[in-house]
Amino acid sequence: MERGGAEEREGKEEVPDEAKGKGFLGKVREVIYGMAAHDSARYALRTRASMEHLFILITMGDLLGVPILPPYYSLRLMPYVVPQISTWKRRMLREKDVTDAIF
Amino acid sequence: MPSSSLARVFEEHPQRRYVMFGGKGGLGKTTFSAATAYWLAQRGNKVLVFSVDPQASLSDIFKRDIFGQGPVEIMDNLWAQEIDADRHIKEYQDEIRQKIVDMYGLDKVPDEIEDYIEAASAEPAMEESAIFDSVVDIVVESDYDYYIYDLVPLGHALYYLSMAKVYDEWIGKITHLREEMREEEERAARFRGKKEMDEDKILGELQYIRNRINSASKILTDREKTAFFFVLVPEEMILLDTRKAAEMFAKFDVPIGGYVVNRVIPENLATGDGGLPVYLKNRIEMQRRYLSEIDRTFGDQVLGRVRELERDVTGLDMIERMAQMMYEEG
Repeated sequence: MERGGAEEREGKEEVPDEAKGKGFLGKVREVIYGMAAHDSARYALRTRASMEHLFILITMGDLLGVPILPPYYSLRLMPYVVPQISTWKRRMLREKDVTDAIF
Repeated sequence: MPSSSLARVFEEHPQRRYVMFGGKGGLGKTTFSAATAYWLAQRGNKVLVFSVDPQASLSDIFKRDIFGQGPVEIMDNLWAQEIDADRHIKEYQDEIRQKIVDMYGLDKVPDEIEDYIEAASAEPAMEESAIFDSVVDIVVESDYDYYIYDLVPLGHALYYLSMAKVYDEWIGKITHLREEMREEEERAARFRGKKEMDEDKILGELQYIRNRINSASKILTDREKTAFFFVLVPEEMILLDTRKAAEMFAKFDVPIGGYVVNRVIPENLATGDGGLPVYLKNRIEMQRRYLSEIDRTFGDQVLGRVRELERDVTGLDMIERMAQMMYEEG
């Protein structure tokens, strides 16, 4: 099953480097992060990923045949979203199924 | 109605540096733009007359090929420019390609992206946006006393003006979305104990785009600095269209400076001997009717009536004659 790239990347990353520490204190920090903040961080990142796709749809809609932003200005933004283009197209065009609700 | 009313408008409002002539195609916008530029230049102002029309005719009226050459000096103080939109688009595309290649260290732009860049440029809106963008360059980066816009025919001009407003609103929305994304990212960063975030370059670009569009539309709708004149001829359809257009322009807050009637058949023809052809007699009669209707409709906003000439207006001699008719006679 294909998933949106940005989301998948963020989902797999269990504990970010910043929360990893050394020794006992570090472990405690990891546990607390896991209990309290991981889900929230993940949620925020997922929201951001969806918005990212929405943003690209609005600015680069032409790629799917939906012109929204005048192309002259969307070209200006093009260089910044080059890496996201392929995952975004996949996400926009794929069929939805039950598992969408779970993950 | 003496033509010098038009001259008085310029004398009374020296701060109105952006001058536009609008109207249906073929009524004399380019002629009036050129004559006005000539008149202002002769009075010691540094003037740029430029065309935003892809089928520009400034080259024809000045009898010099100025297309795509940047500002060309026609005579002392008078500069003319025709924007080459195609070249502007090509340069812009190359700039984007170069940026992609540089940013990601690629040998060439990926096919998918290349396709998009090509396809986007084939859009009809692309050319208009490119012209729009060039106009911003011209107006922001140069230092003329007067800028005379030789506008495209009415429909396009309206599109051109409305574009600024629509673009601005759209970009406002997109910028807002981008800012929300930024907030989510900050939230995530906070939870994860991350302190620093990368600068959002896209947000920066959006703000840049917005600024450019705003500076263009600010000029178009600035009551202090802009004078927009309608060109019309005494005919029913033109009169109706001009009235409609004036209403629409008002909706976009374009300050209308006045109306100039072109191609008026000289009255003294009618008072000549009885040998006047019926055709001409009827036309003069018709014009008289519409001239009074124009006066009724637009009142003292009618700034001048310009005689129909015996030949077309091309070359500096004819432009000078036209300028005299517009600004000195009456």
